[in-house]
Amino acid sequence: MKIAVCVKQVPDSETRINLAAPAAELDQSGFTRILNPYDAYAVEEAVKIKEAGGEVEITAITLGPDTVKETLKKDCLAVGCDKAVIITDPALDGADEAAIATVLAAALKRETYDLILFGIKAIDDDSGQVGILVAEHLGLPHVSTITHLEMGDGTLTAHREIEGGKEVVTATLPAVLTCQKGLNEPRLPSLPNIMKAGMKPQETVTCADLGIDVPANLVQIKQYAPPAARGECKLIDAEDPAAAARELARLLNEEAKVI
Amino acid sequence: MPNIAVFIEQRDGALKKVAWQMISEARRIADANGGEVWGVLLGGDAAAAATEAGKYGADKVFTAGGDVFTTYNSEAWGTALANFVTANSPDMLMVGSTAMGKDLGPKAAAKLGCACISDAVGVTYADGFEVRRPIFAGKCFVDVVPQTPVCVVGIRPNAFVMAEKAAAGAAEAFDAGTDGVDLKATVQSVEAADGGKVELTEAEVIVSGGRGIKGPENYALIETLADSLGAAAGASRAVVDAGWVDYSHQVGQTGKTVGPNLYIACGISGAIQHLAGMSSSKCIVAINKDANAPIFKVADYGVVADLFDVVPALTDAVGKLKG
Repeated sequence: MKIAVCVKQVPDSETRINLAAPAAELDQSGFTRILNPYDAYAVEEAVKIKEAGGEVEITAITLGPDTVKETLKKDCLAVGCDKAVIITDPALDGADEAAIATVLAAALKRETYDLILFGIKAIDDDSGQVGILVAEHLGLPHVSTITHLEMGDGTLTAHREIEGGKEVVTATLPAVLTCQKGLNEPRLPSLPNIMKAGMKPQETVTCADLGIDVPANLVQIKQYAPPAARGECKLIDAEDPAAAARELARLLNEEAKVI
Repeated sequence: MPNIAVFIEQRDGALKKVAWQMISEARRIADANGGEVWGVLLGGDAAAAATEAGKYGADKVFTAGGDVFTTYNSEAWGTALANFVTANSPDMLMVGSTAMGKDLGPKAAAKLGCACISDAVGVTYADGFEVRRPIFAGKCFVDVVPQTPVCVVGIRPNAFVMAEKAAAGAAEAFDAGTDGVDLKATVQSVEAADGGKVELTEAEVIVSGGRGIKGPENYALIETLADSLGAAAGASRAVVDAGWVDYSHQVGQTGKTVGPNLYIACGISGAIQHLAGMSSSKCIVAINKDANAPIFKVADYGVVADLFDVVPALTDAVGKLKG
Protein backbone atom coordinates (compact mmCIF):
# COMPACT_ATOMS: atom_id res chain seq x y z
CA MET A 1 0.00 0.00 0.00
CA LYS A 2 1.25 3.45 -0.87
CA ILE A 3 0.21 6.51 1.11
CA ALA A 4 0.95 10.11 0.20
CA VAL A 5 0.71 12.85 2.82
CA CYS A 6 0.58 16.38 1.42
CA VAL A 7 1.97 18.87 3.92
CA LYS A 8 2.73 22.57 4.21
CA GLN A 9 5.17 24.59 6.26
CA VAL A 10 3.42 27.55 7.92
CA PRO A 11 4.19 30.33 10.41
CA ASP A 12 3.75 29.22 14.03
CA SER A 13 0.34 29.98 15.60
CA GLU A 14 2.05 32.36 18.06
CA THR A 15 3.10 34.55 15.10
CA ARG A 16 2.08 38.21 15.30
CA ILE A 17 1.22 39.98 12.05
CA ASN A 18 2.44 43.55 12.21
CA LEU A 19 0.46 45.39 9.59
CA ALA A 20 -0.49 48.98 10.40
CA ALA A 21 -2.16 49.88 7.10
CA PRO A 22 -3.29 48.10 3.93
CA ALA A 23 -0.31 46.89 1.90
CA ALA A 24 0.27 45.02 -1.36
CA GLU A 25 2.70 42.60 0.27
CA LEU A 26 2.84 40.84 3.61
CA ASP A 27 6.37 40.53 4.92
CA GLN A 28 6.66 37.00 6.33
CA SER A 29 10.45 36.87 6.46
CA GLY A 30 10.93 36.82 10.23
CA PHE A 31 8.33 34.15 11.01
CA THR A 32 9.15 30.91 12.83
CA ARG A 33 7.96 28.09 10.60
CA ILE A 34 6.47 24.79 11.64
CA LEU A 35 4.59 21.88 10.10
CA ASN A 36 0.95 22.95 9.66
CA PRO A 37 -0.70 21.52 12.82
CA TYR A 38 -3.53 19.87 10.86
CA ASP A 39 -0.99 18.12 8.60
CA ALA A 40 0.49 16.47 11.71
CA TYR A 41 -2.81 14.57 12.09
CA ALA A 42 -2.46 13.38 8.47
CA VAL A 43 1.14 12.24 9.04
CA GLU A 44 0.21 10.46 12.28
CA GLU A 45 -2.73 8.66 10.67
CA ALA A 46 -0.50 7.40 7.84
CA VAL A 47 2.07 6.15 10.35
CA LYS A 48 -0.65 4.40 12.38
CA ILE A 49 -1.84 2.57 9.23
CA LYS A 50 1.76 1.50 8.57
CA GLU A 51 2.15 0.27 12.14
CA ALA A 52 -1.05 -1.76 11.84
CA GLY A 53 0.85 -4.08 9.49
CA GLY A 54 1.37 -4.93 5.84
CA GLU A 55 3.68 -3.36 3.31
CA VAL A 56 3.10 0.37 3.59
CA GLU A 57 5.24 3.12 2.12
CA ILE A 58 4.57 6.73 3.11
CA THR A 59 5.65 9.65 0.93
CA ALA A 60 5.45 13.20 2.29
CA ILE A 61 4.90 15.75 -0.47
CA THR A 62 5.24 19.49 -0.11
CA LEU A 63 5.57 22.61 -2.15
CA GLY A 64 7.88 25.37 -1.08
CA PRO A 65 11.40 26.71 -0.89
CA ASP A 66 14.45 24.78 0.28
CA THR A 67 13.78 25.80 3.89
CA VAL A 68 10.94 23.24 4.11
CA LYS A 69 13.53 20.43 4.28
CA GLU A 70 14.10 20.77 8.02
CA THR A 71 10.36 20.54 8.76
CA LEU A 72 10.03 17.53 6.44
CA LYS A 73 12.91 15.80 8.18
CA LYS A 74 11.84 16.46 11.77
CA ASP A 75 8.04 16.25 11.54
CA CYS A 76 7.52 13.78 8.68
CA LEU A 77 10.52 11.52 8.05
CA ALA A 78 11.55 11.26 11.73
CA VAL A 79 8.05 10.15 12.81
CA GLY A 80 7.62 7.44 10.19
CA CYS A 81 7.33 8.77 6.63
CA ASP A 82 9.69 6.87 4.31
CA LYS A 83 10.57 9.51 1.75
CA ALA A 84 9.82 13.08 0.75
CA VAL A 85 9.17 14.99 -2.45
CA ILE A 86 9.68 18.75 -2.49
CA ILE A 87 8.23 20.73 -5.36
CA THR A 88 10.40 23.81 -5.56
CA ASP A 89 9.94 26.33 -8.31
CA PRO A 90 10.43 30.10 -7.96
CA ALA A 91 7.55 30.55 -10.42
CA LEU A 92 5.22 29.04 -7.81
CA ASP A 93 5.77 31.87 -5.32
CA GLY A 94 2.32 33.26 -4.58
CA ALA A 95 0.53 30.31 -6.19
CA ASP A 96 -3.14 30.19 -5.19
CA GLU A 97 -5.15 27.14 -4.10
CA ALA A 98 -6.11 26.14 -7.66
CA ALA A 99 -2.50 26.36 -8.88
CA ILE A 100 -1.16 24.41 -5.90
CA ALA A 101 -3.79 21.70 -6.43
CA THR A 102 -2.81 21.39 -10.11
CA VAL A 103 0.87 21.01 -9.21
CA LEU A 104 0.22 18.52 -6.38
CA ALA A 105 -2.06 16.46 -8.64
CA ALA A 106 0.74 16.26 -11.21
CA ALA A 107 3.17 15.08 -8.52
CA LEU A 108 0.67 12.54 -7.17
CA LYS A 109 0.05 11.10 -10.66
CA ARG A 110 3.66 9.92 -10.87
CA GLU A 111 2.82 7.02 -8.53
CA THR A 112 -0.31 5.02 -7.75
CA TYR A 113 -1.22 5.99 -4.21
CA ASP A 114 -3.97 4.11 -2.40
CA LEU A 115 -4.54 6.87 0.10
CA ILE A 116 -3.77 10.59 -0.09
CA LEU A 117 -3.97 12.53 3.18
CA PHE A 118 -4.16 16.26 3.83
CA GLY A 119 -4.78 18.46 6.88
CA ILE A 120 -8.22 20.13 6.71
CA LYS A 121 -6.57 23.50 6.07
CA ALA A 122 -3.32 25.39 6.51
CA ILE A 123 -3.38 27.80 9.45
CA ASP A 124 -1.91 30.64 7.38
CA ASP A 125 -4.21 30.83 4.33
CA ASP A 126 -7.15 29.12 6.10
CA SER A 127 -8.67 28.03 2.78
CA GLY A 128 -9.31 24.33 3.26
CA GLN A 129 -9.65 23.79 -0.49
CA VAL A 130 -6.57 22.02 -1.77
CA GLY A 131 -7.37 18.43 -0.70
CA ILE A 132 -10.84 18.64 -2.25
CA LEU A 133 -9.51 20.22 -5.46
CA VAL A 134 -6.81 17.53 -5.78
CA ALA A 135 -9.42 14.76 -5.39
CA GLU A 136 -11.40 16.25 -8.29
CA HIS A 137 -8.23 16.55 -10.44
CA LEU A 138 -7.49 12.88 -9.84
CA GLY A 139 -11.14 11.77 -10.15
CA LEU A 140 -10.98 10.19 -6.68
CA PRO A 141 -13.52 10.05 -3.86
CA HIS A 142 -12.74 12.28 -0.91
CA VAL A 143 -13.93 12.67 2.65
CA SER A 144 -13.16 16.02 4.27
CA THR A 145 -12.82 16.95 7.95
CA ILE A 146 -12.39 13.42 9.28
CA THR A 147 -12.14 12.71 13.00
CA HIS A 148 -12.03 8.90 12.84
CA LEU A 149 -10.78 6.38 10.26
CA GLU A 150 -11.10 2.63 9.86
CA MET A 151 -9.37 0.89 6.98
CA GLY A 152 -11.06 -2.14 5.37
CA ASP A 153 -10.02 -4.35 2.48
CA GLY A 154 -9.79 -1.81 -0.32
CA THR A 155 -12.32 0.38 1.48
CA LEU A 156 -12.44 2.90 4.30
CA THR A 157 -14.98 4.21 6.78
CA ALA A 158 -14.46 7.72 8.10
CA HIS A 159 -16.31 10.01 10.48
CA ARG A 160 -16.79 13.48 9.08
CA GLU A 161 -17.41 16.33 11.53
CA ILE A 162 -20.62 18.30 10.89
CA GLU A 163 -22.64 20.77 12.97
CA GLY A 164 -23.80 19.00 16.11
CA GLY A 165 -22.65 15.53 15.09
CA LYS A 166 -20.94 13.47 12.43
CA GLU A 167 -21.50 11.72 9.14
CA VAL A 168 -20.29 8.13 8.81
CA VAL A 169 -18.88 7.95 5.28
CA THR A 170 -17.58 4.99 3.27
CA ALA A 171 -15.40 5.04 0.17
CA THR A 172 -13.31 2.67 -1.89
CA LEU A 173 -9.58 3.15 -2.35
CA PRO A 174 -7.83 5.05 -3.76
CA ALA A 175 -9.26 8.02 -1.87
CA VAL A 176 -8.38 11.46 -0.55
CA LEU A 177 -8.97 12.43 3.10
CA THR A 178 -8.58 15.74 4.94
CA CYS A 179 -7.77 15.37 8.63
CA GLN A 180 -9.27 17.31 11.55
CA LYS A 181 -8.14 17.68 15.14
CA GLY A 182 -9.45 14.77 17.22
CA LEU A 183 -8.42 12.13 14.64
CA ASN A 184 -5.34 11.13 16.64
CA GLU A 185 -2.57 12.45 18.89
CA PRO A 186 0.50 13.16 16.75
CA ARG A 187 3.72 11.75 18.24
CA LEU A 188 6.85 13.79 18.71
CA PRO A 189 10.05 12.80 16.91
CA SER A 190 12.84 11.30 19.00
CA LEU A 191 16.38 12.63 18.67
CA PRO A 192 17.81 9.35 17.26
CA ASN A 193 14.98 9.24 14.69
CA ILE A 194 15.69 12.83 13.66
CA MET A 195 19.32 11.80 13.09
CA LYS A 196 18.26 8.74 11.06
CA ALA A 197 15.71 10.78 9.07
CA GLY A 198 18.60 12.58 7.41
CA MET A 199 19.37 9.33 5.56
CA LYS A 200 15.88 8.96 4.08
CA PRO A 201 15.45 10.01 0.43
CA GLN A 202 14.33 13.56 -0.34
CA GLU A 203 13.68 14.36 -3.99
CA THR A 204 13.42 17.93 -5.25
CA VAL A 205 11.41 18.56 -8.43
CA THR A 206 10.25 21.54 -10.50
CA CYS A 207 7.09 22.00 -12.57
CA ALA A 208 9.13 21.08 -15.65
CA ASP A 209 10.17 17.81 -13.96
CA LEU A 210 6.48 17.08 -13.41
CA GLY A 211 5.80 17.76 -17.10
CA ILE A 212 3.50 20.72 -16.53
CA ASP A 213 3.54 24.44 -17.17
CA VAL A 214 3.37 26.69 -14.13
CA PRO A 215 -0.42 27.00 -13.61
CA ALA A 216 -2.09 30.41 -13.66
CA ASN A 217 -3.69 31.78 -10.49
CA LEU A 218 -7.49 32.04 -10.55
CA VAL A 219 -7.54 34.56 -7.70
CA GLN A 220 -5.42 37.69 -7.55
CA ILE A 221 -4.41 39.32 -4.29
CA LYS A 222 -5.09 43.05 -4.30
CA GLN A 223 -3.99 43.92 -0.79
CA TYR A 224 -3.55 42.79 2.79
CA ALA A 225 -5.37 44.74 5.48
CA PRO A 226 -5.15 44.84 9.28
CA PRO A 227 -8.23 43.96 11.36
CA ALA A 228 -10.46 46.90 12.33
CA ALA A 229 -9.25 48.56 15.53
CA ARG A 230 -11.38 47.76 18.56
CA GLY A 231 -12.68 50.41 20.94
CA GLU A 232 -11.72 50.92 24.57
CA CYS A 233 -12.72 48.26 27.07
CA LYS A 234 -15.37 49.47 29.51
CA LEU A 235 -14.39 48.05 32.90
CA ILE A 236 -17.25 47.26 35.24
CA ASP A 237 -16.70 47.82 38.96
CA ALA A 238 -16.28 44.31 40.33
CA GLU A 239 -16.13 44.91 44.07
CA ASP A 240 -19.48 43.13 44.39
CA PRO A 241 -19.42 40.34 41.75
CA ALA A 242 -23.20 39.88 41.79
CA ALA A 243 -23.77 43.59 41.18
CA ALA A 244 -21.10 43.54 38.44
CA ALA A 245 -22.90 40.62 36.77
CA ARG A 246 -26.23 42.49 36.90
CA GLU A 247 -24.62 45.62 35.45
CA LEU A 248 -22.95 43.58 32.70
CA ALA A 249 -26.26 41.94 31.78
CA ARG A 250 -27.92 45.39 31.70
CA LEU A 251 -25.21 46.85 29.43
CA LEU A 252 -25.33 43.88 27.06
CA ASN A 253 -29.10 44.23 26.88
CA GLU A 254 -29.57 48.01 26.75
CA GLU A 255 -26.32 49.43 25.37
CA ALA A 256 -24.77 46.74 23.17
CA LYS A 257 -28.20 45.19 22.42
CA VAL A 258 -26.69 41.73 21.99
CA ILE A 259 -28.81 39.78 24.50
CA MET B 1 -25.09 43.99 -13.70
CA PRO B 2 -23.93 41.04 -11.63
CA ASN B 3 -26.28 38.11 -11.09
CA ILE B 4 -25.56 36.42 -7.78
CA ALA B 5 -26.65 32.87 -6.96
CA VAL B 6 -26.90 31.75 -3.34
CA PHE B 7 -26.84 28.10 -2.29
CA ILE B 8 -29.68 27.44 0.17
CA GLU B 9 -28.47 24.63 2.40
CA GLN B 10 -30.97 22.09 3.68
CA ARG B 11 -30.34 19.12 5.93
CA ASP B 12 -33.36 16.89 6.49
CA GLY B 13 -35.42 19.74 5.09
CA ALA B 14 -34.19 22.30 7.64
CA LEU B 15 -32.88 25.45 5.95
CA LYS B 16 -29.72 27.21 7.19
CA LYS B 17 -30.00 30.83 8.25
CA VAL B 18 -26.71 31.73 6.54
CA ALA B 19 -28.64 31.48 3.25
CA TRP B 20 -30.88 34.39 4.25
CA GLN B 21 -27.82 36.41 5.33
CA MET B 22 -26.22 35.81 1.92
CA ILE B 23 -29.42 36.59 0.01
CA SER B 24 -29.77 39.85 1.99
CA GLU B 25 -26.23 40.90 1.06
CA ALA B 26 -26.64 39.78 -2.56
CA ARG B 27 -29.83 41.89 -2.70
CA ARG B 28 -27.92 44.97 -1.49
CA ILE B 29 -25.26 44.40 -4.19
CA ALA B 30 -27.91 43.81 -6.86
CA ASP B 31 -29.89 46.92 -5.86
CA ALA B 32 -26.77 49.08 -6.14
CA ASN B 33 -25.52 47.59 -9.40
CA GLY B 34 -28.48 46.00 -11.17
CA GLY B 35 -28.62 42.25 -11.65
CA GLU B 36 -30.64 39.51 -10.04
CA VAL B 37 -30.46 37.38 -6.91
CA TRP B 38 -31.09 33.67 -7.27
CA GLY B 39 -31.43 30.96 -4.66
CA VAL B 40 -30.37 27.41 -5.46
CA LEU B 41 -31.93 24.55 -3.51
CA LEU B 42 -31.07 20.86 -3.82
CA GLY B 43 -33.76 18.60 -2.32
CA GLY B 44 -36.00 19.84 0.48
CA ASP B 45 -39.26 21.72 0.12
CA ALA B 46 -38.99 23.96 -2.95
CA ALA B 47 -42.12 26.05 -2.31
CA ALA B 48 -41.26 26.76 1.34
CA ALA B 49 -37.66 27.69 0.50
CA ALA B 50 -38.77 29.97 -2.33
CA THR B 51 -41.24 31.79 -0.07
CA GLU B 52 -38.60 32.31 2.60
CA ALA B 53 -35.89 33.32 0.10
CA GLY B 54 -38.30 35.82 -1.45
CA LYS B 55 -38.66 37.60 1.89
CA TYR B 56 -34.97 38.49 1.83
CA GLY B 57 -34.88 39.53 -1.79
CA ALA B 58 -34.41 36.47 -4.01
CA ASP B 59 -35.90 37.01 -7.45
CA LYS B 60 -35.95 33.31 -8.24
CA VAL B 61 -35.15 30.04 -6.52
CA PHE B 62 -33.84 27.28 -8.78
CA THR B 63 -34.68 23.88 -7.37
CA ALA B 64 -33.79 20.29 -8.13
CA GLY B 65 -35.34 17.26 -6.49
CA GLY B 66 -34.59 13.56 -6.35
CA ASP B 67 -33.37 10.83 -4.02
CA VAL B 68 -29.77 11.89 -4.46
CA PHE B 69 -30.52 15.11 -2.55
CA THR B 70 -31.92 13.35 0.52
CA THR B 71 -28.46 13.02 2.09
CA TYR B 72 -25.42 15.17 1.35
CA ASN B 73 -23.07 13.76 -1.27
CA SER B 74 -20.13 15.83 -2.45
CA GLU B 75 -20.02 14.33 -5.93
CA ALA B 76 -23.73 14.58 -6.76
CA TRP B 77 -24.35 17.94 -5.12
CA GLY B 78 -21.13 19.38 -6.61
CA THR B 79 -22.20 18.15 -10.06
CA ALA B 80 -25.65 19.72 -9.61
CA LEU B 81 -24.24 23.12 -8.61
CA ALA B 82 -21.70 23.06 -11.45
CA ASN B 83 -24.46 22.20 -13.93
CA PHE B 84 -26.62 24.99 -12.53
CA VAL B 85 -23.80 27.52 -12.98
CA THR B 86 -23.02 26.32 -16.50
CA ALA B 87 -26.67 26.59 -17.54
CA ASN B 88 -27.46 29.95 -15.89
CA SER B 89 -24.12 31.78 -15.81
CA PRO B 90 -24.33 33.69 -12.53
CA ASP B 91 -21.35 35.95 -11.88
CA MET B 92 -20.93 34.63 -8.36
CA LEU B 93 -22.11 31.58 -6.43
CA MET B 94 -22.22 32.15 -2.68
CA VAL B 95 -22.07 29.08 -0.43
CA GLY B 96 -22.22 29.32 3.37
CA SER B 97 -19.02 28.30 5.17
CA THR B 98 -20.69 25.44 7.02
CA ALA B 99 -19.53 21.82 7.25
CA MET B 100 -21.44 21.15 4.04
CA GLY B 101 -20.50 24.39 2.28
CA LYS B 102 -16.79 24.06 2.97
CA ASP B 103 -16.89 20.70 1.19
CA LEU B 104 -19.33 21.58 -1.57
CA GLY B 105 -17.93 24.99 -2.62
CA PRO B 106 -14.45 23.75 -3.62
CA LYS B 107 -16.00 20.64 -5.20
CA ALA B 108 -18.26 22.70 -7.46
CA ALA B 109 -15.46 25.16 -8.26
CA ALA B 110 -13.12 22.30 -9.21
CA LYS B 111 -15.72 20.93 -11.62
CA LEU B 112 -16.14 24.39 -13.15
CA GLY B 113 -12.40 25.19 -13.17
CA CYS B 114 -13.27 28.55 -11.65
CA ALA B 115 -11.91 30.68 -8.81
CA CYS B 116 -12.89 29.60 -5.31
CA ILE B 117 -12.57 31.91 -2.31
CA SER B 118 -13.07 30.48 1.19
CA ASP B 119 -14.70 31.93 4.28
CA ALA B 120 -15.30 35.47 3.02
CA VAL B 121 -16.58 38.23 5.30
CA GLY B 122 -17.07 40.96 2.70
CA VAL B 123 -18.10 41.21 -0.96
CA THR B 124 -18.08 44.45 -2.95
CA TYR B 125 -18.80 45.15 -6.59
CA ALA B 126 -17.55 47.86 -8.93
CA ASP B 127 -16.97 46.63 -12.50
CA GLY B 128 -16.13 43.31 -10.88
CA PHE B 129 -16.12 41.60 -7.53
CA GLU B 130 -13.68 42.13 -4.72
CA VAL B 131 -13.80 39.75 -1.78
CA ARG B 132 -12.40 40.22 1.72
CA ARG B 133 -11.43 37.21 3.79
CA PRO B 134 -9.47 36.67 7.01
CA ILE B 135 -6.15 34.84 6.93
CA PHE B 136 -4.05 33.64 9.86
CA ALA B 137 -7.44 33.06 11.58
CA GLY B 138 -8.19 36.79 11.49
CA LYS B 139 -4.83 38.28 12.45
CA CYS B 140 -4.96 39.87 9.01
CA PHE B 141 -7.36 40.21 6.08
CA VAL B 142 -6.78 39.88 2.37
CA ASP B 143 -8.74 41.51 -0.44
CA VAL B 144 -8.82 39.33 -3.53
CA VAL B 145 -10.14 39.62 -7.07
CA PRO B 146 -11.41 36.50 -8.88
CA GLN B 147 -9.90 36.06 -12.34
CA THR B 148 -12.60 33.84 -13.85
CA PRO B 149 -16.03 34.89 -15.22
CA VAL B 150 -17.78 33.11 -12.36
CA CYS B 151 -16.43 32.45 -8.88
CA VAL B 152 -17.53 30.34 -5.93
CA VAL B 153 -17.32 32.23 -2.63
CA GLY B 154 -17.69 30.69 0.80
CA ILE B 155 -19.40 33.11 3.20
CA ARG B 156 -18.82 32.96 6.94
CA PRO B 157 -22.05 32.66 8.97
CA ASN B 158 -23.00 35.96 10.67
CA ALA B 159 -20.72 37.99 8.37
CA PHE B 160 -23.74 39.55 6.65
CA VAL B 161 -26.75 41.15 8.29
CA MET B 162 -30.11 39.61 7.48
CA ALA B 163 -32.63 42.14 6.16
CA GLU B 164 -36.13 41.60 4.83
CA LYS B 165 -36.75 43.01 1.35
CA ALA B 166 -39.52 41.33 -0.53
CA ALA B 167 -38.93 40.00 -4.04
CA ALA B 168 -40.71 37.48 -6.26
CA GLY B 169 -38.96 34.36 -4.91
CA ALA B 170 -40.49 32.25 -7.67
CA ALA B 171 -39.50 28.57 -7.64
CA GLU B 172 -38.18 27.23 -10.96
CA ALA B 173 -36.99 23.66 -11.49
CA PHE B 174 -33.60 23.09 -13.13
CA ASP B 175 -31.94 19.98 -14.51
CA ALA B 176 -29.27 18.95 -11.98
CA GLY B 177 -27.83 16.41 -14.42
CA THR B 178 -27.05 13.95 -11.64
CA ASP B 179 -28.62 10.83 -13.19
CA GLY B 180 -26.03 8.07 -13.21
CA VAL B 181 -23.40 10.11 -11.39
CA ASP B 182 -20.82 7.93 -9.61
CA LEU B 183 -21.40 8.91 -5.97
CA LYS B 184 -17.87 7.82 -4.90
CA ALA B 185 -17.78 8.48 -1.12
CA THR B 186 -21.23 7.98 0.43
CA VAL B 187 -22.76 8.92 3.77
CA GLN B 188 -24.05 5.78 5.51
CA SER B 189 -25.53 7.48 8.56
CA VAL B 190 -25.64 10.77 10.41
CA GLU B 191 -25.11 10.62 14.16
CA ALA B 192 -26.02 13.51 16.46
CA ALA B 193 -23.61 14.42 19.24
CA ASP B 194 -24.89 14.23 22.82
CA GLY B 195 -27.18 17.01 23.97
CA GLY B 196 -27.91 18.78 20.67
CA LYS B 197 -26.10 21.94 21.79
CA VAL B 198 -25.77 25.09 19.70
CA GLU B 199 -22.93 24.78 17.19
CA LEU B 200 -19.98 27.19 17.43
CA THR B 201 -19.43 28.51 13.93
CA GLU B 202 -23.06 29.49 13.37
CA ALA B 203 -23.79 30.69 16.91
CA GLU B 204 -24.85 34.30 17.49
CA VAL B 205 -23.64 34.14 21.09
CA ILE B 206 -20.68 32.13 22.42
CA VAL B 207 -19.57 31.62 26.02
CA SER B 208 -16.01 30.26 26.27
CA GLY B 209 -14.00 28.91 29.18
CA GLY B 210 -10.23 28.94 29.57
CA ARG B 211 -7.66 27.65 32.00
CA GLY B 212 -9.33 29.80 34.69
CA ILE B 213 -12.07 27.18 35.07
CA LYS B 214 -9.40 25.07 36.83
CA GLY B 215 -10.79 21.65 35.95
CA PRO B 216 -13.24 19.75 33.70
CA GLU B 217 -15.84 19.59 36.47
CA ASN B 218 -16.25 23.38 36.30
CA TYR B 219 -16.99 23.58 32.57
CA ALA B 220 -20.65 23.16 33.58
CA LEU B 221 -20.53 26.81 34.74
CA ILE B 222 -19.76 27.84 31.17
CA GLU B 223 -22.43 25.54 29.72
CA THR B 224 -25.06 26.80 32.15
CA LEU B 225 -24.42 30.42 31.21
CA ALA B 226 -24.42 29.41 27.53
CA ASP B 227 -27.75 27.62 27.95
CA SER B 228 -29.30 30.67 29.62
CA LEU B 229 -28.29 32.76 26.58
CA GLY B 230 -29.14 30.13 23.95
CA ALA B 231 -25.44 30.28 23.18
CA ALA B 232 -22.77 27.82 22.07
CA ALA B 233 -20.09 26.78 24.56
CA GLY B 234 -16.48 27.29 23.47
CA ALA B 235 -13.08 26.70 24.99
CA SER B 236 -9.46 27.77 24.71
CA ARG B 237 -6.78 25.46 23.36
CA ALA B 238 -5.36 24.94 26.87
CA VAL B 239 -8.66 23.51 28.07
CA VAL B 240 -9.02 21.24 25.03
CA ASP B 241 -5.42 20.03 25.10
CA ALA B 242 -5.78 19.25 28.82
CA GLY B 243 -8.63 16.94 27.83
CA TRP B 244 -11.23 18.83 29.86
CA VAL B 245 -13.51 19.49 26.88
CA ASP B 246 -13.91 17.88 23.44
CA TYR B 247 -11.79 19.45 20.67
CA SER B 248 -14.91 20.43 18.73
CA HIS B 249 -15.37 23.29 21.26
CA GLN B 250 -11.96 24.86 20.58
CA VAL B 251 -11.92 28.48 19.40
CA GLY B 252 -8.69 29.80 17.91
CA GLN B 253 -6.21 29.44 15.09
CA THR B 254 -6.07 25.65 15.47
CA GLY B 255 -9.78 25.38 16.25
CA LYS B 256 -12.87 27.19 15.04
CA THR B 257 -12.68 30.78 13.86
CA VAL B 258 -15.84 32.54 14.97
CA GLY B 259 -17.52 35.92 14.59
CA PRO B 260 -20.67 35.94 16.76
CA ASN B 261 -22.60 39.02 17.90
CA LEU B 262 -21.48 38.37 21.48
CA TYR B 263 -18.44 36.46 22.76
CA ILE B 264 -18.04 36.03 26.52
CA ALA B 265 -14.52 34.88 27.47
CA CYS B 266 -14.36 33.45 31.00
CA GLY B 267 -10.99 32.76 32.54
CA ILE B 268 -9.27 33.10 29.17
CA SER B 269 -6.03 35.09 29.21
CA GLY B 270 -6.08 35.73 25.47
CA ALA B 271 -3.15 33.97 23.80
CA ILE B 272 -2.53 35.37 20.31
CA GLN B 273 -3.81 32.19 18.65
CA HIS B 274 -7.07 32.43 20.63
CA LEU B 275 -7.55 36.15 19.95
CA ALA B 276 -7.07 35.42 16.26
CA GLY B 277 -10.02 33.04 16.29
CA MET B 278 -12.54 35.33 17.98
CA SER B 279 -11.52 38.98 17.71
CA SER B 280 -13.90 39.63 14.80
CA SER B 281 -16.81 39.06 17.23
CA LYS B 282 -19.04 42.12 17.27
CA CYS B 283 -19.13 42.48 21.08
CA ILE B 284 -16.56 40.88 23.38
CA VAL B 285 -16.84 40.45 27.14
CA ALA B 286 -13.84 39.42 29.24
CA ILE B 287 -14.17 38.00 32.75
CA ASN B 288 -10.74 37.38 34.25
CA LYS B 289 -8.98 37.81 37.60
CA ASP B 290 -5.85 39.21 35.95
CA ALA B 291 -6.36 42.85 34.96
CA ASN B 292 -3.30 42.60 32.69
CA ALA B 293 -4.62 39.67 30.65
CA PRO B 294 -4.38 40.43 26.89
CA ILE B 295 -8.06 39.51 26.45
CA PHE B 296 -8.99 42.95 27.88
CA LYS B 297 -7.23 44.61 24.91
CA VAL B 298 -9.88 43.26 22.51
CA ALA B 299 -12.83 43.35 24.93
CA ASP B 300 -15.68 45.89 24.85
CA TYR B 301 -16.72 45.11 28.43
CA GLY B 302 -14.45 43.77 31.15
CA VAL B 303 -14.98 42.43 34.65
CA VAL B 304 -11.76 41.98 36.62
CA ALA B 305 -12.91 39.31 39.07
CA ASP B 306 -12.97 35.60 39.73
CA LEU B 307 -15.13 33.84 37.18
CA PHE B 308 -16.40 31.53 39.93
CA ASP B 309 -18.11 34.58 41.46
CA VAL B 310 -19.19 36.37 38.29
CA VAL B 311 -20.33 33.61 35.91
CA PRO B 312 -23.06 32.08 38.14
CA ALA B 313 -24.24 35.61 39.01
CA LEU B 314 -24.37 36.47 35.33
CA THR B 315 -26.41 33.31 34.65
CA ASP B 316 -28.88 34.51 37.31
CA ALA B 317 -28.96 38.05 35.93
CA VAL B 318 -29.57 36.81 32.39
CA GLY B 319 -32.33 34.52 33.67
CA LYS B 320 -34.06 37.47 35.38
CA LEU B 321 -33.63 39.65 32.30
CA LYS B 322 -35.16 37.04 30.03
CA GLY B 323 -37.86 36.48 32.64
